[in-house]
Amino acid sequence: MLLGIDVGGTHTDAVLIDDGGIRGSFKTPTDHADLLSSIRAALDWVAAEADAFDIERVNLSTTLTTNAIVEGTTEEVGLFVAGGPGIDPHTFQICRHFHVLSGATDHRGTAVRELSRAEIEAAAKACDADGVRSYAAVCKFSPRNPSMEQTIAEAIGSRADVVTLGHQLTGRLGFPRRMATAYFNSAVWRLFNEFSFAVELALRERGIRAKVNILKADGGTMPLAMARRIPVESILSGPAASVMGIISMCDIALDSLILDVGGTTTDIAVFAGGSPIMEPGGISIGSYPTLVRALLTTSIGVGGDSAVSMLGEQVFVGPRRKGPCMCAGGSHPALMDAFNVLGASRYGDVAASRAGMAELAAAHSLTPEFLAQKAVDAAVANIVAACRELVGQINARPVYTLHELLDGRRVVPKKIYLMGGPAEVMKMPLFRAFQLSVSVPRNFSVANAVGAALTRTTTGAELFADTEKRRMHVPTLGISKVIEPGYGLADAERDARRSLLGFLRQEGIPVREENLMMTHAESFNMVSDGVLSGRNIRVGCQIRPGILHRYKALLGRLC
Amino acid sequence: MLKAKNRLGIVFFPAYDWSLGPTHPEREERLLYTHDQLVEEGVFDIEGISEHKPDVAAREDVERTHFCFPEPEAVVTRSHMAAAGGAITAARLVMEGRTDRAFALVRPPGHHAMKSVHGTRGFCTINSEAVMVEWVRETYGRRRVAIVDTDCHHGDGTQDIYWHDPDTLFISLHQDGRTLYPGSGFPHELGGPKARGRTLNIPLPPNTSDEGFLHVIDNVVLPILDDFRPDLIINSAGQDNHFTDPITNMNFSARGYALMNERLAPHIAVLEGGYAIQGALPYVNLGIVLAMAGLDYAHVVEPDWDPERWRQTRQVGKYIEALCEELPKLYFKPPPDPRDTLAGNWHVRMKEIFYDTDGIQESQREMLYDCRKCRGTLKIETRSGRVPLSLGVEIPQDACPVCRAEGYRAFEEAQLKGSFRYVQLINRADKEYLRVGF
Ligand SMILES: [Zn+2]
Ligand SMILES: [Zn+2]
Repeated sequence: MLLGIDVGGTHTDAVLIDDGGIRGSFKTPTDHADLLSSIRAALDWVAAEADAFDIERVNLSTTLTTNAIVEGTTEEVGLFVAGGPGIDPHTFQICRHFHVLSGATDHRGTAVRELSRAEIEAAAKACDADGVRSYAAVCKFSPRNPSMEQTIAEAIGSRADVVTLGHQLTGRLGFPRRMATAYFNSAVWRLFNEFSFAVELALRERGIRAKVNILKADGGTMPLAMARRIPVESILSGPAASVMGIISMCDIALDSLILDVGGTTTDIAVFAGGSPIMEPGGISIGSYPTLVRALLTTSIGVGGDSAVSMLGEQVFVGPRRKGPCMCAGGSHPALMDAFNVLGASRYGDVAASRAGMAELAAAHSLTPEFLAQKAVDAAVANIVAACRELVGQINARPVYTLHELLDGRRVVPKKIYLMGGPAEVMKMPLFRAFQLSVSVPRNFSVANAVGAALTRTTTGAELFADTEKRRMHVPTLGISKVIEPGYGLADAERDARRSLLGFLRQEGIPVREENLMMTHAESFNMVSDGVLSGRNIRVGCQIRPGILHRYKALLGRLC
Repeated sequence: MLKAKNRLGIVFFPAYDWSLGPTHPEREERLLYTHDQLVEEGVFDIEGISEHKPDVAAREDVERTHFCFPEPEAVVTRSHMAAAGGAITAARLVMEGRTDRAFALVRPPGHHAMKSVHGTRGFCTINSEAVMVEWVRETYGRRRVAIVDTDCHHGDGTQDIYWHDPDTLFISLHQDGRTLYPGSGFPHELGGPKARGRTLNIPLPPNTSDEGFLHVIDNVVLPILDDFRPDLIINSAGQDNHFTDPITNMNFSARGYALMNERLAPHIAVLEGGYAIQGALPYVNLGIVLAMAGLDYAHVVEPDWDPERWRQTRQVGKYIEALCEELPKLYFKPPPDPRDTLAGNWHVRMKEIFYDTDGIQESQREMLYDCRKCRGTLKIETRSGRVPLSLGVEIPQDACPVCRAEGYRAFEEAQLKGSFRYVQLINRADKEYLRVGF
């Protein structure tokens, strides 16, 4: 049996799932001051509902790290960076203890300027004097050669409880993003570790001995042991949980839009080519883009509580919320009130909806029904425009080969999956606007917890090989090997695959080879003085997000 | 957080699956390290800088600019259509006001491609800048355009295409043609009879460094741009003046390129040559990007840059100063062309063109109608080892009725007489592009 828990912004949801489907679900308001109490409440429900012994896996999605960053309750970090030629690293100063060191590595991974031991020592002393215990080291092009980051970590030594090294987070490039990602990782490290011990304790107290996994923003999970090293990956996992919930409940095959219409916003995600579409670089935390992989979601200010307003002849819905809708005791008419007036729904105090809409309509010499219809049209038009724009952006993404440019596949949504409070009433208007079939899954109210429960572990690895330098690296897995001059693309693909599978087995993560896919595989001839001097090879592979294999049979049955 | 002063659109298309040969300078790897550098620097995350996928140029875009013999499909590959299309995308961003500046980081280059195309020369088949400029004129009407070519090689193709166009100012800075391919680009090459002074060549001695280039920009290029008042400034941003370039002999640095770009302030830059793909391109392109966006590029310094080692000699400096005294006169008071020959109502020019990449020799008789009302209809009779005697006729945008009639007559007569294998008509006045002979 699986236990999925989603500690969300307003509610904490939990579901128990076995081979037969959803066995039970639980909802409680989230206590922001004490997230652990919300989790304990869910666990108490579990203890009453099922035999703790039957629970084989606990998947948890939490706002812990997100909240800490938003509320500024993270820890001071000593961030040591080495840039070299290019944009001045000071431009990206993200924290007080930010030290720019004079070392440089170039795009081939060649050290072109050595680090100064004295500089590192001085910076570490300064941090230590201020009581800093969490550190991060990020050097430009470290995924091509991690040695400078390693040198910095060694020099900081026991002054640190944690040193996040940029190359351990991802093999993808992006120095400013890597700085931000490493910084946030160290900033939430202690908080997350304390939390994870408390969660394990709470589980043990209730006799639950299952493996714990933490949900990530890319729609996959990571084992708790890994999350303790890279807690930054637990950030902003909420939207991904809902999207994965829909994907695991409905057997999606066609290119689709996934819409989550909430109280104040509608979140939009896109499913294409067999998996949800990802952010191209990584998610942004506040104004800082990072390298944390995430599902691409966009949010617009249209929801059930979005205020209906008029400017001249024009009717607007949202983006502001002026309290709840009137049928739920609010004082300003909102989208849900419009549906009530039209008779599409009978939610809450329908008379209050009628009165509110009638008052606003009368002020503009309109009938309440006319105004309500205009409001629904405006809301739908906003959603349609946002979906078009998102799909347009996906199709306009840069590509780098003629093959992709000329023969590339375009995303064309064929179906819509709709969830959220107003989902049922939005179904027909959205169908008419899109002329696409619209599905509202039965259990959408616990989609987030279902998604958390059913999604599998995701992870990826990037391999770089340079046959001229006779070296191969998989930076995130700490692999660095001497290679033969004849090392080719096929060798690199095999090594990337083996490295990732080996790592997963070592971590005790069950993995099916068919879920491992290559994300890219390129080999470039390197030429000096007109003759071939080697090959520059880049290969990436990943376990893509999806439903746990054992529960594949549930696909479509929960929809 | 960084914010660009000028909104900059970058059309980056490295064509990782296309080359002119496995070890050819124009190979898959060419923009690989530039790409790595731009992504690692986080350039595309800077507020105000955006990345764009190239449009693919249409056959019509090529046909309104070039006479392609026997036809575009025979000489132009898909990569050329993507490179020219990328330049058009860059122009579209600026013309539609979506960005203030745009940089087409595309390959292969185009500035050696001339009006008439039989094949590939100097790695170029079609002229990306010209295809782009003519797209702008077709879409938005007549525009005054200045093209400043800062590739180390003379932009002989662009010069040929705009030789007779008084609306296009073409300035080429390059290593002296006596020491480098294609061996042309001397100060006496000043444009045709209707466009004298609209072509200006600035041949620089080998080992010219940052100082020399910037002296030319300040003392020759900028005063002339001020006078010409172009609607659009385009930089053919070749990067082979770099001190590490394997096929040239100049001493220019990435910071020098950035400074030059900042002073030129082009609306659109298009990558041309530059084959020091590890030592130069990542830094030069980063410098150009930052300069175009109005951001600080002071830290863009090649790891092996040593200004003392690459400083130009005093002799080179003196030579350049003297050159800069004379050159502006050629623009402001161009002397008549002593070789100009009038046969009937046509100015006639004989040309021999060598296609080094393809090993083709083309012979041309070029004729421009001597018109007082407009820039004149153009005819090119051409033949090569590949193409039997063929004819191209171009009626210019805003042609006078006489030139329009002359153009049609030439096109019809050629078909009646049957002495030409292929005949192409570019009628810019009526946006009509015809070809016969298939
Ligand atoms: Zn060149
Ligand atoms: Zn005329």
